[in-house]
Amino acid sequence: MNPLLALDGVHKTYATGRAQVHALRGVDLAIERGELVAIMGPSGAGKTTLLEILGCLSTPSRGHYRLDGQAVEALDDGGLARLRGSEIGFVFQSFNLLPRMTALENVELPLVYRRVPRAERRQRAEESLGRVGLDARARHRPAELSGGERQRVAIARALVNRPALLLADEPTGNLDSQTSDEILALLSDLHGEGHTVVLVTHDATIGRRAPRLVTLRDGRVESDQRD
Amino acid sequence: MQRGASILSTFGSAALREAFHTLRQHRGRAFLTLFGIVWGTAAVIFLGGWGDGVRVMIERGFFKTGRNMGTAWAGRIGEDFTPAADRRTLWFNQQDLEALRRRTRLSDLVGGELWEIGAATHGGRARITDLRGMDPEAIEIRGVPLAAGRRITRGDLEHRRRVVLLGDEVRRLLLRPGEGVGTWIRIEGKPFQVIGLLAPVGIQLSQDRMLIDKQVWAPLSTVQMLFPRSWTDEPVVSNIIYRMRDRRDVAEAKREVRAILADRIGVSRDDDEAVMGWSSLEMLNRFPLDQNKGFLLILAIATLGVGGIGVLSMMLDAVHERRQEIGVRLAVGARPRDVVVQLFAETLAVTSVGGLAGVALGVFGCLAIGSVEAPDLVPVPILSGSLVGAALAVMTIVGVVAGVAPAWRASRIDPAITLRME
Repeated sequence: MNPLLALDGVHKTYATGRAQVHALRGVDLAIERGELVAIMGPSGAGKTTLLEILGCLSTPSRGHYRLDGQAVEALDDGGLARLRGSEIGFVFQSFNLLPRMTALENVELPLVYRRVPRAERRQRAEESLGRVGLDARARHRPAELSGGERQRVAIARALVNRPALLLADEPTGNLDSQTSDEILALLSDLHGEGHTVVLVTHDATIGRRAPRLVTLRDGRVESDQRD
Repeated sequence: MQRGASILSTFGSAALREAFHTLRQHRGRAFLTLFGIVWGTAAVIFLGGWGDGVRVMIERGFFKTGRNMGTAWAGRIGEDFTPAADRRTLWFNQQDLEALRRRTRLSDLVGGELWEIGAATHGGRARITDLRGMDPEAIEIRGVPLAAGRRITRGDLEHRRRVVLLGDEVRRLLLRPGEGVGTWIRIEGKPFQVIGLLAPVGIQLSQDRMLIDKQVWAPLSTVQMLFPRSWTDEPVVSNIIYRMRDRRDVAEAKREVRAILADRIGVSRDDDEAVMGWSSLEMLNRFPLDQNKGFLLILAIATLGVGGIGVLSMMLDAVHERRQEIGVRLAVGARPRDVVVQLFAETLAVTSVGGLAGVALGVFGCLAIGSVEAPDLVPVPILSGSLVGAALAVMTIVGVVAGVAPAWRASRIDPAITLRME
């Protein structure tokens, strides 16, 4: 069976003024369905760039990336947006909830862009909030929620489209250790339910707890370890 | 359908919420910007209505002598057509009037008048008045309503009755309090019974001889009998008045009348000294009423445009401040065109807030000025659905144009870059 994600010789180059920054220098990586993979590396190693490419927020400058068999580099902005909406759920370090919307409306947002009818949208968003244990806080705005609750809302939003891939960028970076443990436990549960989870972290403890740890250095895969 | 409606309603309510947030965030600038939109929209309605009101006021002033009316009278044979020494004085008679009535295509009503200046006396009071012999068609064309009594009828003409309608000023100067219909007065010593009183006409922007308020109207045949012309025994009509079917045909109607009457009295159709003509419509058409309204509307629309520039600037700032939010929307599946639609909706919502307030202000302004009761001096601004529609349409265009740049800028946001800035 084809892997869910397949990167083949992926390069990413940014132009900053006259200088060229080589963020990725030929990354080969395959991730199967249902895996939980942690990506680690020092600052400037290319973690975030790799995550952006995996999440279809940008495309490789060179090389190939296939998501669920589909060649991503061939897609235009609209095609990338559709793929993000249907196949990928994002969890960010700073939650990135929209402040003027309630938790429920934030979770509904991806469904709005997939043209899901209002009633179904509401039902699925409530289910998703229920899955992360926040059904009682559905009508609260982000400012009225704790950090852990906000991240749960973000995870509910990432799950609501039933994506093939959950991408988490430092999901515990802004949380205290107890809340971090709860969020990691939640991600672990989701992995247990069959979700494919890729998380980027600085935290070696988190990295070591993951079944598979990919380490980047200078834009290349330095190591790829499995339990 | 349901899906389409669903996304629209989602964007609609979200757009309103974001629009109000943007207005709150930029309170000072929003006030000035919205002031431009409010003022511009109100100005389109008010100045457009004012322009129409001025037109109506001026038309009413010109049409007090008769709506869409033209007059023809006989002069002398023109110098170009005969030696000066042989220039005959010309006149129209009753048959000429009847001939025009039968043959005209461009006028729907033709009336005859015979004018006389004479002293009207009653109870020791006297006044020089403009006595007009008129037939029912002429009275219909003049269109002055009656304050009391009845009009001159065909029967009055057939029996050459000595009856008159008094203009408002003649009534006030001649009759005593309590006197009115039924009173007998004298004109040039001849007794006439008052059968009706003309309603006050007030300020006229055109007049033929005395103002209507100073006129006395009697049956045409009576005046023809009592005031014969020295040069002929036949009944004379000094003025033939006609009402055009279509006011745009003023020049053609004048030509047609001249041709018919010239043929009748045996002069050249090109002799404009022999058959003379005049129409208040010709004067009215010289007034730059459309240009006046157009100029006012351009001023108003320019104000609205300045408001639009304010909205544009405010929305560009809003896009800059919200680039991370837009990045999040793009990350969770919004396509660039979804962002464009949302930004357009928000810009339109901001513009609409000002526009609707402007409509209310414009309507209020029209009603307020309209309540001033001086219809001959102050135009009553005319509120029309089409003007409100035009104001809303211009406002929408301003909103759309002001929305282009912010929407384009929003759609160019790279989610990878904005989310990295967190």
